[in-house]
Amino acid sequence: MDKLNMNKHISGQFNAELDHVRNQIMAMGGLVEQQLKDALSLLSRPDAELVNKVITTDSKVNSFEVAIDEECTRIIAKRQPAASDLRIVMAIIKTIADLERIGDAAESIARMVERNMDKPFKASLTSLEHLGQHTAKMLHDVLDGFARMDVETAWQVHQEDKKVDKEYERLIRELMTYMMEDPRSIPQVLDALAAARAIERVGDRCQNIAEYIIYFVRGKDIRHLAGDEVEKLL
Amino acid sequence: MISLNTENSRDTKLDLANLTAEQTALEVKNLDLYYGSKQALFDVSMKIPKGQVTAFIGPSGCGKSTLLRCINRMNDLVDICKISGEIMLHGQNIYDKSVDVAALRRNVGMVFQRPNPFPKSIYENVVYGLRLQGIKDRRVLDEAVERSLRGAALWEEVKDRLHENAFGLSGGQQQRLVIARAIAIEPEVLLLDEPTSALDPISTLTIEELINDLKSRYTVVIVTHNMQQAARVSDQTAFMYMGDMVEYADTNTLFTTPAKKQTEDYITGRYG
Repeated sequence: MDKLNMNKHISGQFNAELDHVRNQIMAMGGLVEQQLKDALSLLSRPDAELVNKVITTDSKVNSFEVAIDEECTRIIAKRQPAASDLRIVMAIIKTIADLERIGDAAESIARMVERNMDKPFKASLTSLEHLGQHTAKMLHDVLDGFARMDVETAWQVHQEDKKVDKEYERLIRELMTYMMEDPRSIPQVLDALAAARAIERVGDRCQNIAEYIIYFVRGKDIRHLAGDEVEKLL
Repeated sequence: MISLNTENSRDTKLDLANLTAEQTALEVKNLDLYYGSKQALFDVSMKIPKGQVTAFIGPSGCGKSTLLRCINRMNDLVDICKISGEIMLHGQNIYDKSVDVAALRRNVGMVFQRPNPFPKSIYENVVYGLRLQGIKDRRVLDEAVERSLRGAALWEEVKDRLHENAFGLSGGQQQRLVIARAIAIEPEVLLLDEPTSALDPISTLTIEELINDLKSRYTVVIVTHNMQQAARVSDQTAFMYMGDMVEYADTNTLFTTPAKKQTEDYITGRYG
């Protein structure tokens, strides 16, 4: 397909509406990215104030989701978008659902830190943090890819998720060792496990967003396809 | 992967470039058309599948109505019109000298933008074509009237006033009457030239619903300015621009992931 022309509708109003919803989703993405970074920094430096900030940010993220959803519904009702316009609206609707869930993950990490605030928490936080940084980078890159609608970046993020999955498995094994070594650590390690799971899911959601970007730009649905099949399609 | 509704014909994709003779109602081959020295169609080739709805879309002057009119030789009426290429119906070129144009038009019916009933009763409008064929048997005519009016989803509304003047009907009813008149003679192909552009939204939806029913018995080719209408009613869509057939694909693909930039720009309203 030729390069998509993002800005030249005959209807200026339609342009304005699409631009607005695109700006909104970037703002929402920025908010979620900061929220996730804050939540991850809590793992090494627990801080009650920051915990609060992460938790209150979540309601802002939620209202973004509702507002963008409403706007997309309005666009579909009034403009009957087709082709790339339809694909961007569909991609946005799906992306905000994933962003909202990433926000939830950040919130649950913050709550986990809050629960363990006064306990000495030594269970492999560095590994947890490392996994977190990895997915935070994915989120940053996929949002960057979304802003530029760049298939290359999206595909890189998509493949990055495999590494996150491997890292997650290593982390699980490590956490199991802690539990076996010292059963008293089990309650805390279980909390760390839940956080690790939340972080790993952030990677999956970034992968989803990468798929929506590719769907918008190329019109190809690459969900559930093997890597080499996708390479052929792109 | 699971594909939904594979039994619904709208979701079965035909390979438009390689339709078998069985699947093809009409085949346009390298059609060029000139109005005087101005060329209006450039080397158009396409196969129109049987028992389906095919829509032609494109901006004004792109040649979509011209192409539609070629299919029942309406352009014969335009003196300065010159045509080369072929349109095959049942393996015969309809532009062949041996073709009887009246017989062709019995096979390929046409409905225009503005409803054009004759200043006669509803009944006489429907049987007009049959009377021309010399059919006089009252029973045959009565049956044809009911069948055609039912086929055009008009029977229930007019069955008690068949002998009233057709001009007493609303615009939407008149258009369905014209469709009933066209299908009374049992054509194979029905050409619709912007059949709803003069109608209100409700009548438009009634006609669209009717088009969906008609395709079980006829091959329907429709020209429309309304892209959403093409998206709603057709199985295949051809996008034309300046006399070229830019893209011809199944409607679902054309409206979600068109292959050509020109198509993309037109259906998203970036044309111009």
